[in-house]
Amino acid sequence: MHIAVLAKVVPDYEVPARDFELAGNRAHSRYTRMIGLYDENAVETGIQLKEKYGAKLSIVSYGHGDDVPILRKAIAMGGDTLHLVLGDSDDPYVIAANLEMALEQIKDVDLVLAGQQSADQDRGIVHGILSEMLGYTFLAQISRIEFDQDRWTVHQNHENGSRVLQFSRKAVLSITSSHENVPRIPVVRAIMAAKKKPVEKLQGIDAAPMKAEEIKVEIPKLESICEFLPLDDLQQTAKILLARLREERYL
Amino acid sequence: MRVPYWNVDYGFLIDVLAVPVFAIFFSGLYSHYRKIRKGKEQLKLGWGKANVKKGPVFLKEVFTKSILGTRIYRKFYTGLAHGLVFSGMAILTLGTILVFANVTIKLPVFRGAFNHWFMSFGLDLAGISALAGLLFFFLRRLFPPDRLVTPKERTGFFPMIGLLALIIITGFLLESLRIRASGPEPASFVGNFVAGFIPANGPILSYHRYVWWFHGFIALGFIAYIPFSPMVHMVLAPVNTALADPRPGPKMGVIDFSSFDDEEGEDMPPMGVAKLGDFSRKRLLDFDTCLWCGRCHEVCPAAQTQRPLSPKMVVATLAEFLAANRFTDEPVDVIGIDAIFNCTTCAACMEACPISINQPKAIMQIRQNLVMERSELPELMSKAYNSLEQRRHPFFGTGAGPKDWQKGLDIPIFAPGKTEYLLWVGCAATYDERAQKIARAMVKILSAATVSFGILAKPRCTGDPAKQMGNEFLFTEIARENIEEFDSLGIKKLITLCPHCFNSFTRHYPELGGHYEVIPHSVLISDLIAANRLALNKSSESFCFHDPCYLARRNHIEQPPRRALEAMGTLIEMPRTKRESFCCGGGGGNYWSESSGIRINQVRAREALDTSSSLIATACPFCLLMLTDGVKKFTEDKKVFDIAELVEARLKLG
Repeated sequence: MHIAVLAKVVPDYEVPARDFELAGNRAHSRYTRMIGLYDENAVETGIQLKEKYGAKLSIVSYGHGDDVPILRKAIAMGGDTLHLVLGDSDDPYVIAANLEMALEQIKDVDLVLAGQQSADQDRGIVHGILSEMLGYTFLAQISRIEFDQDRWTVHQNHENGSRVLQFSRKAVLSITSSHENVPRIPVVRAIMAAKKKPVEKLQGIDAAPMKAEEIKVEIPKLESICEFLPLDDLQQTAKILLARLREERYL
Repeated sequence: MRVPYWNVDYGFLIDVLAVPVFAIFFSGLYSHYRKIRKGKEQLKLGWGKANVKKGPVFLKEVFTKSILGTRIYRKFYTGLAHGLVFSGMAILTLGTILVFANVTIKLPVFRGAFNHWFMSFGLDLAGISALAGLLFFFLRRLFPPDRLVTPKERTGFFPMIGLLALIIITGFLLESLRIRASGPEPASFVGNFVAGFIPANGPILSYHRYVWWFHGFIALGFIAYIPFSPMVHMVLAPVNTALADPRPGPKMGVIDFSSFDDEEGEDMPPMGVAKLGDFSRKRLLDFDTCLWCGRCHEVCPAAQTQRPLSPKMVVATLAEFLAANRFTDEPVDVIGIDAIFNCTTCAACMEACPISINQPKAIMQIRQNLVMERSELPELMSKAYNSLEQRRHPFFGTGAGPKDWQKGLDIPIFAPGKTEYLLWVGCAATYDERAQKIARAMVKILSAATVSFGILAKPRCTGDPAKQMGNEFLFTEIARENIEEFDSLGIKKLITLCPHCFNSFTRHYPELGGHYEVIPHSVLISDLIAANRLALNKSSESFCFHDPCYLARRNHIEQPPRRALEAMGTLIEMPRTKRESFCCGGGGGNYWSESSGIRINQVRAREALDTSSSLIATACPFCLLMLTDGVKKFTEDKKVFDIAELVEARLKLG
């Protein structure tokens, strides 16, 4: 069994709203870079499958050469090999084409896992496009994966419940976070060992981008307005609060 | 004149018997030594600094903590009882040695004033003293305070108290029988008194012989039994205190990770401690020496708020592992992971320990192993750890940007060769909105006193939270980054707002090559007031001061913040203060921990509020945050302030 996990290095996804600023329509380069939140869930899921079924686990990424030290965390967590396709496109088709190229080169991948969406673009479409390119089944929002007698059983999470699905082909799964795939903290020996592991850097390829043009990017500024309500009569205060919330269309 | 072995035939046989008895005694001690030798490292030999240490022995501590047992007297009656038994038995032993010397080398001890005042009066007084002390111990074991029995009680004291008392009582009886048969000895007041109750017409000489042999046998039996009973602390406790580094705090040191580089190496050392055999010899000596007296238990903030940790339980468990030779078993399975992470590293246990056991170091070494080798740490701590690793600060989910605290202030950036002090802001005062006010206040204070200072362009963390959470690797990585930046900027002097940063810079950074002159903000403020560089408005306000553990207990900085408060109003002390301060609950990474049940910060806040002082002052951002939260349970008033905030608000301007 060979599992590949797609991991993207993104700017800090916890930058406070009031400190966030754009530079060239993207997050300012001053922010710390790290593996995306859901991608870490995907790595953790991959490691659990590796531990349970003795799979080989490849980490595949598309990005800058500078991302390597950050991606090593996925190796420290339990990944076996790291493959980085060099490129700087934000276009989902270009990214998917490059990842497809990497996966074809790695060969014999049975299952591709990826975080349900990247923490910078938040589109959640690259894995779908990739599955089309690879000709694999695509299932989104997966939280649990089991394998038995050549069949995969997966749990698909929805807002109000879950669905169990089975398939026997190769697939791309987008992974959502659950209490079962909280990313582990790598042990120190693994961090030290990961620093020495070779990384395969692949030259990116040109591909046809999405037929759309980015015109403008805006991040709304958060405003906090504080309003004090009278507290003489609690019932009356509750009524005022309810009215105000309705007035502002929060309810 | 007294005659040795009076009325006893073949009395020298007791002396002959002493030879195998001492052989058993030393063999028993050797068995302790053999176990302790299974620990990891050699005790460091060689001359220490300033001649206070010879080989592994701290000379001053030999006389103070070892021989005089100064720390035992922190509980006066227990200390007094120990003093009475120890000094009494020491004098009686000396008396017995002198008798032996009289027999063997004819030392004239039974003549004149020496016989009167020492051999008669002195030895009787010593016996009475020791008996009084033993009576105290007997009653205390019969009606034990909670600390002796919680969470478990060490047994074996009653037989030893009884045996020791019997030796003294038979000694007095022996003396009385001798006096009854041969006439009063003027200064032997106990012997003369008891002799008065002995009938004149009995077989006194026979009784005297029987008692003489009985006394001799039980005394020898006691000596032989010492190494196999809790009384071995008579030997181990002085040794342990003499070998304990007297500097305050657990002295965690740093780990050289280069030894872990060779993955294929056959003998990979563990990170931290997993098995008993991973501990150093000094730690094993600690466990072997511990009497389970529970002084650590009763000052531990975790134990006193019914959390799963008791330092006594940790050391007692490790002692049981040692006694059972379980060197390859993992004690954390018995101690519990929760217990290990509940330690706030406040070091109150260590401060209270009368025999200088380093409980926090043992706990932290197990924690290091859990974190670095097993990746096991509580959820909130792991979030803080992740943030520290990725963002270089532990305040995950903060709503504050790195420069938010500077809004409206014109703060100089440290200029190499021009600026004197680096104002080290630290993570809490950068990323927590409440703690930011400390940094803002300090900037205004430094500006008012015209101190040459600057900050770093990009905020940093010392890495101390990683160290406290048990990840020495991450700490070392962050510390090295900081040292590199300090070197590039030529930084030599630092002002810290946080005692944890101060402790890290002064205790751990030098071991990684970073040597700086570091001054805590409370000390600098006090110095500036004393030098009349800060003028303050004094009022009738009263302040109580919560001593941060990392300032008072770990670094013995107690007076400067008090002097600053006294310059503004009246100081009121809490019952637990200075080195005996009670932790706020936020240390050891426990600022990022789930709280349920009795909360440490609320206990401390209640204690502070009970002083009825106008305001509660502290000198640590973590203490500030914990106490601010703790006070909320009892009042809505804003009561807790950092010393910098208080000073800044009372500055006489112009």
